[in-house]
Amino acid sequence: MDSELNSKVNLQEILNTLEVDRKKISETYKTCYILFGLTLVILVIGLLIRFPALGIIGCLVPLIIGIVMYFKIDDDAKKYKADYKMNVVASALKTVNESFVFAPLSGLPEYEFVSSELFTTEPDRYKTQDLITGTTDKTSFWFAEVHAEYKTQTQTKNGTRTEWHTIFKGIIFAADFNKNFNVSTVVRPKSFGASLGAWFSKNVFSFGNTEVVQLENTDFDNKFVTYSKNQIEARYILTPAMMERILDLNKKCDETISISFIHSKMYIAFPLSQNYFEAPIHSSLLVPDLLTDDLSIVKFMHDIIHELDLNTRIWGKE
Amino acid sequence: MFVIIGLFAFLFIIGIIIYNSLIGKRNQVTNAFSAIDVMLKKRFDLIPNLVEVVKQYTNYEQSTLTKIVELRAKATSGNLTDEEKASLDTQLSSAVKGLMVTVENYPDLKANTNFLNLQTTWTESEEQIAAARRTYNSAVTDYNNAIMMFPGNMFAGMLGYTKIEVLATPEEERKNISAKELFNN
Repeated sequence: MDSELNSKVNLQEILNTLEVDRKKISETYKTCYILFGLTLVILVIGLLIRFPALGIIGCLVPLIIGIVMYFKIDDDAKKYKADYKMNVVASALKTVNESFVFAPLSGLPEYEFVSSELFTTEPDRYKTQDLITGTTDKTSFWFAEVHAEYKTQTQTKNGTRTEWHTIFKGIIFAADFNKNFNVSTVVRPKSFGASLGAWFSKNVFSFGNTEVVQLENTDFDNKFVTYSKNQIEARYILTPAMMERILDLNKKCDETISISFIHSKMYIAFPLSQNYFEAPIHSSLLVPDLLTDDLSIVKFMHDIIHELDLNTRIWGKE
Repeated sequence: MFVIIGLFAFLFIIGIIIYNSLIGKRNQVTNAFSAIDVMLKKRFDLIPNLVEVVKQYTNYEQSTLTKIVELRAKATSGNLTDEEKASLDTQLSSAVKGLMVTVENYPDLKANTNFLNLQTTWTESEEQIAAARRTYNSAVTDYNNAIMMFPGNMFAGMLGYTKIEVLATPEEERKNISAKELFNN
């Protein structure tokens, strides 16, 4: 109880110190924006009174001051953001689970993202950050923010045009799975293409994808398509109880989740648009709901272990 | 003329697809059943070890152990129909389940590493058999649908394919677990 109180007092002190930095950074940024606005106004006035040279020379002064200030404060802002993650987020995470370790610069490696088989497209651009690792009872788990994209290139009159498309943006959760298995089983949201593939598999055996697993839970089969090279193993993993638990978990998410069971681990991809664990710049750190969103997502990830009953170790895997 | 030839060729191809699909589904059923068989054999192999370990610690469960050994001997004797095998497995499974409950009375046995390993392997094999049964039932449903629906039913008649019954959940597994019943044993 004392240590909890102490950590709260410590956290408050850290927040007070960081709030001073935040105010300075926020005000400098605002000054920069005003200077950039002024640059534009001088330029427009110069053009309107038909003295473009005067406009250009006049606008250079606020522009240069603005750019210098911007670059100077940018380093401070980076340091402030890093301090916030290391001191505020990391210690707040301990309130959810003592074992949590926060590594803001690490993430889920790209090779692990690809080998998880959650998505069929390989990324051309891959960003990941904010890795959190922890253990609950016998199960170790980790999760991180991931943004994976692929590119398409089209030839136009002006040359090659590159477009970036998101494969996945959100949080990928991984945990040690409590059963032994040899081949991978993947559960993906039911899309039009996947439904068509499943229909062929069911009705035109010779042409369809023989890896589709038709499960007896109709709600589950309506939401997801399951793929596995071993039909029995897929059902060994996806027991009737497990399917219900996955459906319950999915109900709590805005977008349908994807799950894979591979290399004795379980991966879950949660599509999310929000970027978590970031320090606010233009709003105060001294508000009571500062970490509400961040902690609720962490708690959600932490509770998956219990929700999917991953701590029950009665199937020969310690 | 070409239209008629084209139409026949189209019907011929459709016929081949349906025929192959039926054969494929039938083979899947056979394959799924043999998977259950393999798993049952694996589970039967656990019994002698289990009985040996339990014997060392208990003097009062002889009748249960004898029953389990007898059932196992029957199940592995061969010349059994699929139904008989399934029924023996159900009886065996419930006898072992009963044994696992009575083990609660023997703390030494409960702490024995060998026994704990066997118990874990048994639970694992139970769930694997359940998965194999579900795979079999899924293959059977798929096959039954194919042979009963048009146009598969025309080919099924020619091939002599008939409906296959799905494996019913054993009566014991369907019942809700009653704590009172468990403690009365």
